[in-house]
Amino acid sequence: MSKLKLVELTDQGKRTRIKVGNITLGEDFVVIAGPCGVESEKQTLETAEAVKAGGGMMFRGGAFKPRTSPYDFQGLGLEGLRILEKAKLNTGLPIVTEVIDPRDVSWVCEFADILQIGARNMQNYSLLKEVGKAERPVLLKRGMYSTLKEWLNCAEYILAEGNLDVILCERGIRTFETYTRNTLDLSMVPAIKELTHLPIVIDPSHGTGKLSLIEKMSLAAVAAGADGLLLEVHINPCEAKSDADQQLNPGQFAGLMQKILKLNQFMQDKAFKSSITGGDM
Amino acid sequence: MKLNDIRQNIDLIDSKILKLINDRMEQGLLAKKFKENIEDPEREKEVLETVKNNANTLIESKFSEELYKTILKFSKELQTRDLVITGFQGEHGAYSEEAVRCYNKDYVTIPCTTFNEVFEGVNSGIYDYGIVPVENTLGGMVGPVNELLINTELNIVGAIDMPIHHCLLMVPGTDHRDIREVYSHSQALAQCRRFLSRNKLTPVPYFDTAGAANMLAEKQPRGAACIAGKLSAELYNLDILKENIEDLNSNRTRFLLLSKHEPKEEGSKCTITFSTEHKAGTLFSVLELFASNGINLTRIESIPNEPGDYSFFLDFDGSVKDAAVVETLEKAEEQTSGFKVLGCYNEKIIEQT
Repeated sequence: MSKLKLVELTDQGKRTRIKVGNITLGEDFVVIAGPCGVESEKQTLETAEAVKAGGGMMFRGGAFKPRTSPYDFQGLGLEGLRILEKAKLNTGLPIVTEVIDPRDVSWVCEFADILQIGARNMQNYSLLKEVGKAERPVLLKRGMYSTLKEWLNCAEYILAEGNLDVILCERGIRTFETYTRNTLDLSMVPAIKELTHLPIVIDPSHGTGKLSLIEKMSLAAVAAGADGLLLEVHINPCEAKSDADQQLNPGQFAGLMQKILKLNQFMQDKAFKSSITGGDM
Repeated sequence: MKLNDIRQNIDLIDSKILKLINDRMEQGLLAKKFKENIEDPEREKEVLETVKNNANTLIESKFSEELYKTILKFSKELQTRDLVITGFQGEHGAYSEEAVRCYNKDYVTIPCTTFNEVFEGVNSGIYDYGIVPVENTLGGMVGPVNELLINTELNIVGAIDMPIHHCLLMVPGTDHRDIREVYSHSQALAQCRRFLSRNKLTPVPYFDTAGAANMLAEKQPRGAACIAGKLSAELYNLDILKENIEDLNSNRTRFLLLSKHEPKEEGSKCTITFSTEHKAGTLFSVLELFASNGINLTRIESIPNEPGDYSFFLDFDGSVKDAAVVETLEKAEEQTSGFKVLGCYNEKIIEQT
């Protein structure tokens, strides 16, 4: 991977730390939660309160939605961004939201704390260049057909434009398996840590597409050493306009948060850390 | 053209009709100041005759007569109420109007073209009060207002210091990606300079913030938005694209409320104006009087009258009923010329939100 000048881990082993609000990504374990899409003000504000109450550290929600069918709900657009701004005002949670059009980047920056590049846009190079010039961290999702090398090259695009604050997000890839929506590739966590200095978060909601599998895969991600999780939470999942089968309700989310934090605390314990690595880590 | 487009047009026309009716009601309130009796059957008959004979093809005289009877009835009803009328400079939706609403939401606001019109309207008794901005944290003193204050016989009866939040407004249905130009008062454009440059928008100066909002709604220029207050969005049926776009959130303006009469309640703040001889230490000796009596000065401003001759404005904490203030002002008057107490009043401070 010789051409990855900027994303590669150097000999000094210095890792990227990204400060957003009072969270330092790459240092503090972060849980970014919220609905797949911003559907209405009520649904979004209520979900944001539930995420805050459940212990989520950042709020996510899509205002611009890249959908498989042009007839599916496309998101509320700018109106959605204004609702997210209100959610932040109410809860204090930083906002993570997707940008799908280079012309929207500056506008989304006005409302969001972290720009998300979705799996379908991972190799949209003009969009990558535009967010590379933005003054907001970028959460770059892995494309569903992409190799690790292709993914890291996309991160390189963003860094090459001057934006060094990139967070990688594994969200599952397409395999021949049909039981799950995607195959969540958790081996990416140690692989990314070995190759790059960038933080990596895991999205088990898209990674499995199945409510019953989300908890176990979330905990597996923590155990694998991920820097955070991206979880879909909806105030009322059965009414969701997209991804209805993989969104947690507030109760399920709060319960999962308890387990995540407990396991993370155990993982961070110094004695445990050195016992499994046999040295400093 | 689709049904939705037509409906959007209708909504826009309705907002204009209501705005015009509101303007008419305002004129009715002003007319009352010249009338002994609210009832004036002659004039009413004249108005009804004129609207009955209108040349609009779809509007039959029966309809226009009924409509105007309703309008006149409400106009007369408004005139019977004891409404307090306040003049402000700018168009409806201006920050001065927001200031009046913050000061007392029951005051009726009437727009004036110039600051001079505000002063004259209060002086002649058409307006009960006038409101004028005197200083902004980013833009500094409002020169024309301070010049008028030196020569006025009016009293300052109140003040309001409030945060100014700018919004980016657009005509409903505009695609935010098409916006290239942003109209507003040069002061507002300057206060949002970084926001505009981040989004690659070209600032276009306009005489007034609310005026820019009105123009945007009326003319709907392509690829344009405007910067104005939230109130303008409501009044001109515009969509708020983004709130709080000012570069610094410490953007505040201080407004003064003017009246022909002295304030009813005791004040806690005073404003005086005076000139001093062109000699070393004359201003200092006046200021020293305040310092030695422990009076806290909150603003000092100098305005050139003619070359080499300056008027000074002094704001300080205290009441003209305090013994220390009385003594200080007596001495200050002896040492200066053109000495005048513009008012002793209470100031309302609206905290940052």
